[in-house]
This record gives sequence, C-alpha cells and structure tokens, in this order.
Amino acid sequence: MRLFVSALEKLAPRMATLFTFGLLAGMLVLIDIAVVATHGVVEGGPSRSVNALSLITFPGAYDQILSFILGLGGLFAVTYGAAIAGSEWTWGTLKTAVVRGESRSRYLVTTFAAIGVVLAVGLLFAALVGVIAAAIGATVAGIGISGIGDRAALEALPAHFLRGWVAITETAAIGFAVATLARSQLAGIGVGIALYFGETFAGLFLPDVVKYLPFHLATAVVGGSTGFAPVPSSAVAAMSTDTALILVAVWLLGSLGVAAGFGERAEITG
Amino acid sequence: MIDPSLALATRGLRKSYGSRLALDGLDLSVPAGVVYGFLGPNGAGKTTTMRVLTGLVNADAGAVELLGRPFTRRDRRRLFDVGALVESPAFYPYLSARENLRALAASGAPTPAGRIDEVLEIVGLRERATDPVSRYSMGMKQRLGIGGALLNDPTLLLLDEPSNGLDPAGIVAIRETLRHLASIGKTVFVSSHLLAEVQQMADVVGIIASGRLVREGSMQDLLASEGVVRVRVEPAEVVTATARLARLTAPDRVTPSRAEPGWISVQITPERTAEVNRVLAEAGIFASGLGSGNDLEELFLTLTEDPTSADPDGKFAGIESTTGRLARVEVLS
Repeated sequence: MRLFVSALEKLAPRMATLFTFGLLAGMLVLIDIAVVATHGVVEGGPSRSVNALSLITFPGAYDQILSFILGLGGLFAVTYGAAIAGSEWTWGTLKTAVVRGESRSRYLVTTFAAIGVVLAVGLLFAALVGVIAAAIGATVAGIGISGIGDRAALEALPAHFLRGWVAITETAAIGFAVATLARSQLAGIGVGIALYFGETFAGLFLPDVVKYLPFHLATAVVGGSTGFAPVPSSAVAAMSTDTALILVAVWLLGSLGVAAGFGERAEITG
Repeated sequence: MIDPSLALATRGLRKSYGSRLALDGLDLSVPAGVVYGFLGPNGAGKTTTMRVLTGLVNADAGAVELLGRPFTRRDRRRLFDVGALVESPAFYPYLSARENLRALAASGAPTPAGRIDEVLEIVGLRERATDPVSRYSMGMKQRLGIGGALLNDPTLLLLDEPSNGLDPAGIVAIRETLRHLASIGKTVFVSSHLLAEVQQMADVVGIIASGRLVREGSMQDLLASEGVVRVRVEPAEVVTATARLARLTAPDRVTPSRAEPGWISVQITPERTAEVNRVLAEAGIFASGLGSGNDLEELFLTLTEDPTSADPDGKFAGIESTTGRLARVEVLS
C-alpha cells in the first residue's frame, strides 16, 4: 500500500501529469471559445453553425465532451504511460528501488495502478472543465443551459465514462509496456505515438485485422461514438461494446504482464 | 563453505556482456566491520561487480555470499540489510530531497519514522531538503545518493565511487561518516579509482584488473609487503648491481627495467632504502637516483598495468579472523 501511495505522490506533481490533463482541458475550452466566437459567422450557413453549437448545447454537450476526451485522450494516454514507464529507466529510479530489495514486477504493476487512478482523476477533471466551459459558452451564445440537468443524459454518463476510462487505461498500458521494453522515455513515447497512428493507417487496408488491435478496440468500447477518435465509426461498428470491453481488458492485462515480466527478467545496466 | 566472519564474498564470479568479458572468475573476501576499498582502472569490472552484488544483473557463473548467506537475484529480501549506491545517483528531478527519500523509503525495506531527517542530517542536506533535486549540484546529488543508501540503516553498505563530484569538505565528511559506520560494526564496500582517498579511508583493499582480483589484503600489510625501492645506476653497471642487490633480498625480487635503462626495481620495504644504497656503494657503484614507491598508487599501477604479473592464482590468501575483525593478512607467493 505504501508503494501505491508513494506512486500516486510521485505522479501528482509531475509535469507530464499536469501537461497531459491541462492540455486536454485547455483544448476543450479553446474549442468552446471558438464555437462561441464564430457563432453566426460560420461558413456553410446555419446548418453548419448549428452542428458546431452542439458542442455547447446540453444535454448533447455531455456526449460531445466525453467523445472528445476519450478520443484525443487515447493519444495522450499512450504518451503518458510511456513517459512514466520510460522515466523509471531513463532516470534510474527503478534501479534504486531494486537495489533496496523491491520486487521489480510489484513496483511496475503498482506504478501502473497509480497511473490508472491518475487517469481517472485527470479525465474527470478535464470533463468537468469541459462541462463548465460549455455551460459558460452556451450562456454567452444565448443558447441557455436548460438541458444541463437532463436526467437520462446524466444517468448514462457514469457508465459511458467508466467504459471510456477502461479504454484509455488500456492505451496507457500499451505505452507503458512499449517504454518498458524500450527502457527509454523518449523511445517509448515515439513508438507509442507511431503505433497509435500506424494502427489508424493500417485500418484503411486491413480493417478485419485492425479491429482487434488496441486503439480500435478502445474506440469500440465506447460504441465508436468518439467523434474525435482517429478511427471511423464504420470500422468498429461490427463489434459489440461488451466484446470490445473484454478484448480491451485482455490487451490491458497482457500489456501489463509483458511489462512486469520483462522488468522482472531484465538486466539493469544503465 | 560460508565464512561467517565475512560480510561479503564472491567465488569465481563471471559475467559477460556479449563478447566482452567483464568479470573473469572474481573472488572477493570482505571481512565484516571494515571499510573495504575496491580499486581498479576504468572498465576493470568494478561497476559490474556492484550490479551483481545488488541483483541488478545475473552472473553467468560463480557465487555470491551476502551477510553470511548465499545470494542470487531471487533473494531480494537479503538486500533489506544492504544499502547501495550503484553508478550515478538516481532521483526524480522534480521532487525535493525529502520527497525523493520518502519515495525511496516506500520501496524495499521498511524505514523507521524519522529516519529521513536523520539521513538528511548525516549527508548535510537538511537545509536544502525542500529544494527540487533538479536544482542540486552534482555533489549534492551524490550526497543524496549516499543518503538513500543509508536509509535502511544497512549492515552492509555498497558504494560505487561515492566521492564523485564532492568538494574537498564533502569528501572529508563522507570519509568520516564511512569510518564511523565501520567503527560501529557496519561493513562498507567502496569502489573507487581515487587512490589517495581509499588509502586514507580503507582498512582492506582489493585491486581488480580485467575482471580478476589481482591483490587483496589489509592496507597496512599490503603496502609493507609490496614496498618497492627504485635505484638508478649507469647502464653498464646494471648486471653487477642486480647481482649485488639480489643478495640483499632474493633474485626474483630484483628487476632491471627494460623501458628505462639503468633503473632497477627492488622489492623491499622502503625502510631499507639506505641498505640498498650501501650495498651498491660497497660494490663501487654509486646510484644517481633512488626512491621508494610504497604508496597505493605505485602498487595499483604495477598490478593493473599487467594483470598477468600478479600472483599465479590472482588471489589473496589469508584473511583469518576469529572475532570478525581482521586478524592476519598475507600475500600468497
């Protein structure tokens, strides 16, 4: 338990943590500002303007905000997981724990568990900032926020968020495992981003194979509704969200197992 | 068979990185309660030894005994009684010294409350304990690294180049700290290439070259037994001088230098330098140069320049102890 609490204490003030979730929330705010600022002057006529306004129109704004967070959050999570795991090797902090007699696999798994908690809190924070920004935007644009207390929308939010969090955690696990195998922060982030976009690109040519790969599955878990995700909804529509959730859990645990197994066997020479 | 008087021992330790042999049958015997200076030139295998001793890497062959029991990487809990600083100190740069030590204390051996403040005091970082480590100088990071190694109040302390980056005052402070730890029964194993520092600090020295131990023994006896007097005569007189000097000691202990014609090395205690001069003078040979080389540097250079010139077995024999302290040390010949 002390190791887990310590891992949380290490993650909280980290620049990677503040930057990742600050950027996610900041982008949401900027988009809302852009929507409000261009309200009524958008090229393409009233229909285009109405479409953009859905970002700040409740209750639909809830879904839009979550879609944004869960879509872009996948990319952020893979780099975040890689940054945390990679730094343990790059800074040599895993080494200092090992020479104190700490179990390598326990250390790595505990570190990832803390990442999972930080992701939940961070995503919640970004979502909250997004809702507040959308509410302010709606008020400024004169749309009103009457739908903000919509019971059906609010009831659906926890389940949607939970699924999204599992999917985001899975992508973080991919980054975590890659950086552990690479034993490097920079290499882990680079390879993680390459996998993210590589899978998207491969999806154009091998949709039947790629739909089982981690980033596609992460999108499928939330019903392919992430409008900002790099994966077209059609590519994931064939899979039920429950099946996707199981496969996401397999990827998550598999990645963690690979990272822990590698860490346990690796020779720490740096 | 495990010798309980030893805090640390390795037997036939071998380790390769690819085709490069880092350790080639290393045998170390570190008595309990001493400061042990582990010396060797760059690339001799000092850090690899440290890595094996702390379970960071696996040895290809050989055995390690840690605190009286066999140790492999699976016995990680044995390290609860060991404090180590291997290579450069490693910390989270955005955390303060206190936060880093707290994070470290959360791993491995349980750390008593209040120990972090004690350690900060020992390494002289209490005043800067809340500054982020990223603002620390190299010497301060080194102090913090040593502090991390002391965190669990270890019985055995393994330090890899602990004086790196320290200012003279810091070096003196660390030396005194390590001497104090040995005086209260802890064992301190220090790898270094700072010979003068080790000479002042260590009770026992092991010298490694090309992954093999070339000499091991108490500092005092090692230097006494390895005293060398160098004498310079006319090149034409070398043969006569060598024969005369051989009577003073033994023929195999008098060696004319090939690289420096006229110089002859006599393995003899430096206190007998005048005798060397007298023997030559009686033979009508007058030395134009005379000097003793009984310091660690001389010994180190002699032993590490050509490891094959070391003892045939490359090992040191008798550390005999009945009390856990060093009782007798001698070099096999």
